[in-house]
Amino acid sequence: MKRMLFLLCTVCQFSISAQTTISGRVTDAKNNPVFGANVYLDGTYDGTSTNEKGAFSFKTAEKNAQTLVISFVSFETYIKTADVSTLQNLQIKLRDDVNTLDAVVINAGTFEAGDKAKVTALKPLDVVTTASALGDFVGALQTLPGTATVAEDGRLFVRGGEAEETQIFIDAARVFTPFTPTTNNIPTRGRYSPFLFKGITFSTGGYSAEYGQALSSVLLLSTIDEPDQEKTDITLMTVGVGVGNTQKWNRNSFSINTTYINLAPYLEIFKDRNTWKKPFQSLNGEMVFRHQFKDDSMLKLYSAYSYSSLDVLQDHINFEEGLRFGLNNKNLYFNASYKNKFGHNWKYETSVSYTNDNATIKIIDDLVHSNDNSFHFKAKLKKRFSSRARLSFGAEYFITNYDESYTPNNSNRFTYGFDNNIFASFIETDIFFSKNLAAKVGLRAENSELLNEFTLSPRTSISYKSGTNSQFSLAYGQFYQNPNNEFLKFSQNLKAQTTSHFIANYQSVKQGQIFRVEAYYKDYTSLVKFDSNQPNFDTNFNNNGSGFAKGFDVFWRQNGKIKNTDYWISYSYLETERDYRNYPTAARPGFASKHNLSIVTKHWIEDFKSQIGFSYQFASGRNYTNPNEPGFLNNETKNFHNLSFNWAYLIDQQKIVYFSVNNVLATKNIFGYDYKDTPNSNGNFERQAIIPNADSFFFVGFFWTISDDNKSNQLDNL
Amino acid sequence: MKKSIIIIALLFVGSIAAQSKYQKGMQKAFSLWETGKMLEASQLFERISKAEPTKWKPAYYAATVEILGSFGLKDETKLTAKLNKAQAFLDVAKSNSENNPEIIITQALLNLGYIAFDGQKYGMTLSGKNNQLYAKALAIAPENPRVILGYAEWNMGTAKFFGKSTKPYCDQIKKAIELGKKEKNDIEFYPKFMLSRAEEVLKRCEG
Repeated sequence: MKRMLFLLCTVCQFSISAQTTISGRVTDAKNNPVFGANVYLDGTYDGTSTNEKGAFSFKTAEKNAQTLVISFVSFETYIKTADVSTLQNLQIKLRDDVNTLDAVVINAGTFEAGDKAKVTALKPLDVVTTASALGDFVGALQTLPGTATVAEDGRLFVRGGEAEETQIFIDAARVFTPFTPTTNNIPTRGRYSPFLFKGITFSTGGYSAEYGQALSSVLLLSTIDEPDQEKTDITLMTVGVGVGNTQKWNRNSFSINTTYINLAPYLEIFKDRNTWKKPFQSLNGEMVFRHQFKDDSMLKLYSAYSYSSLDVLQDHINFEEGLRFGLNNKNLYFNASYKNKFGHNWKYETSVSYTNDNATIKIIDDLVHSNDNSFHFKAKLKKRFSSRARLSFGAEYFITNYDESYTPNNSNRFTYGFDNNIFASFIETDIFFSKNLAAKVGLRAENSELLNEFTLSPRTSISYKSGTNSQFSLAYGQFYQNPNNEFLKFSQNLKAQTTSHFIANYQSVKQGQIFRVEAYYKDYTSLVKFDSNQPNFDTNFNNNGSGFAKGFDVFWRQNGKIKNTDYWISYSYLETERDYRNYPTAARPGFASKHNLSIVTKHWIEDFKSQIGFSYQFASGRNYTNPNEPGFLNNETKNFHNLSFNWAYLIDQQKIVYFSVNNVLATKNIFGYDYKDTPNSNGNFERQAIIPNADSFFFVGFFWTISDDNKSNQLDNL
Repeated sequence: MKKSIIIIALLFVGSIAAQSKYQKGMQKAFSLWETGKMLEASQLFERISKAEPTKWKPAYYAATVEILGSFGLKDETKLTAKLNKAQAFLDVAKSNSENNPEIIITQALLNLGYIAFDGQKYGMTLSGKNNQLYAKALAIAPENPRVILGYAEWNMGTAKFFGKSTKPYCDQIKKAIELGKKEKNDIEFYPKFMLSRAEEVLKRCEG
């Protein structure tokens, strides 16, 4: 027994005295010493930090194979498993961590808003505190370069593309009818309230293979994962009322939000140019339920319902008694998404969306009734091989069932419609060659059952970081989109329209400052042409149209250089021509302006607890056809100007008064002209300017939040 | 019998040895921290946390050192790198000790690091979260002086931003100081109440 104890003691002694020294030198990729790296044997207390020369040395009593770990901020962690006796005089090069903020970003064509974005062109608050935006996220995006001001429409027109060329996705599922319906000269708004979203990515070209059926642009919205707290929001506005409530329990949360808008009282006081039989009213309701599972996977169910109606008599040169337009729209949107992690660095994301849009439109005495049922299913897998290589792939299926009936005054009903089903799959890889060079390569395949057509679209982009603050990017992509419902309902003997994007981008980012300039060329082919005034049953359609758009966009934003002031400037230059629709020749379409400029400023006044903001928008003239002169789209309107102002006053932490005026200077803007169908006695066609229904618009709102902590407010709601 | 006693004795010695290794390591890390060697301190906490994957304190302190070091940084790259690292440590601490008020208020401190850097960018989303975190910590540990002090300080910050008086929170700070003086904790290396800091905060509050 004694002997055994003795043996044990000697073994102990031996093990204490038999220490191995581990040593080496740590450098970066360029052989510069790394000072202060943490070097240790995994799972032990043995370790040290590197000195100024990058050298390290420490003793260990560990035996056999051990894992040496070297970690330091902004480098990839180095791991080596070997016998301790061999861990001497090591020469170790640490690789740059490509996931840090100063690494290159693949960003040609893209603007991001939200915390997660590496470069935020727009901050979450901007979406709702930009003077001209009137609380609409689409309005805020219109202050970014690449977008055109088409004030009578309100939708997103990107780089010479029509509004239909932009697709919107919520949590990766498509939104088929994102805008509220309106009539002539009344700009539309996004249906969904901005404060349900935590991140907005707006791409003006060259986007990922994950997104299709969009020729010009995609807008990706992601909803909030977990609301901060339980609260009730009450909103009183000159145009309506709103109530919202959020509840949280266990791993669940539920938010509901409703708004009722009625323009009747406002129009009583500030008459516009229309005769309203029934002023615009809408009822919107949104609900979100979120559940976080134990394994951190997440389920979100989102549904929105909106009802809108209006009945109006608008002045029109071709209708002596005015043009009567009535509308009744019911829209239901449902979206479910689930994401999960599994295995070794795999991610699974799936989403489903369903849209039902039911509209009855009355134009003079004719009735058009339409019913659109659309469905989108998508599944995506992502695998991260290392921080330098990622792969994602997935498949999606779109179903659209569109039915319309047309009943001319006292006549028989025509019914028509189509099913537009598309299957698509995509694969894409992100590769970081170094901290300064990265590329994205993808391919998308689509098969349209309706058009019986299979298409392949390659997408690629590459970014190179040229300096501490600057980088260059190039992108190329091919994009297909099925023709609009407006054509498909009359003819299905068509092909997908297509465009190619070529983009070159330079960006320089410093603290509180962003400068970027992007040049692009877009080549359109297979655009739909037709041979009648408006598409109808007897129209002949073909895919022989073509066009191009080229130009450059500049964006500059600075924050804090002028105290409490944040401003940004966007300028877009566009040259475009199209030979499509019923154009007799190639011409710049009526929605496109050569120059677009917007300037947005915000200033916080501490003493008045107020934020005031101005935004100015300029667009050069737009083409219209003057039948009194030879040619097509042969004249240009005067330039467009709009100066808007807003003022948010915090009464206390939970009560805010918000005031805004759109077009403060009451500039008389003209969007184009309507000409009389028949010439007058002198052989001249008389005309009427297409102008906004009211030059200026006022908005006053009171926002009150009730929560347990008495602190949150609806600043993000404005 | 003898044999088994020896084995038990040896096991016991072994565990004491391991325990003291941990104690020695932690003590060394604290002394590095006290002498201002933040990098070494944080790295030692990191090593201990890797070697003791079921303990929450080493990871908690590794995170705390990183967070405190992030205040005043002007470079967003460095800031996010540091705070991301701190977040990873906090996540380890959280998984080892659920609903721990000390960890919850440190998460709030981490968020404050972002808010202090760019209130416009991070304030909107993170300040709501912080209100929640403090409310949660207070519900779990209503008499914890660090929680009370942290919450009062956070409230003072918000009140200042909205140009309001910080006076209503002074009583809370006084209460925290009182509780802090009385606090006795037998758990080794448990976070301590920083009396001198609390008195400074009280001065700012009343001043």
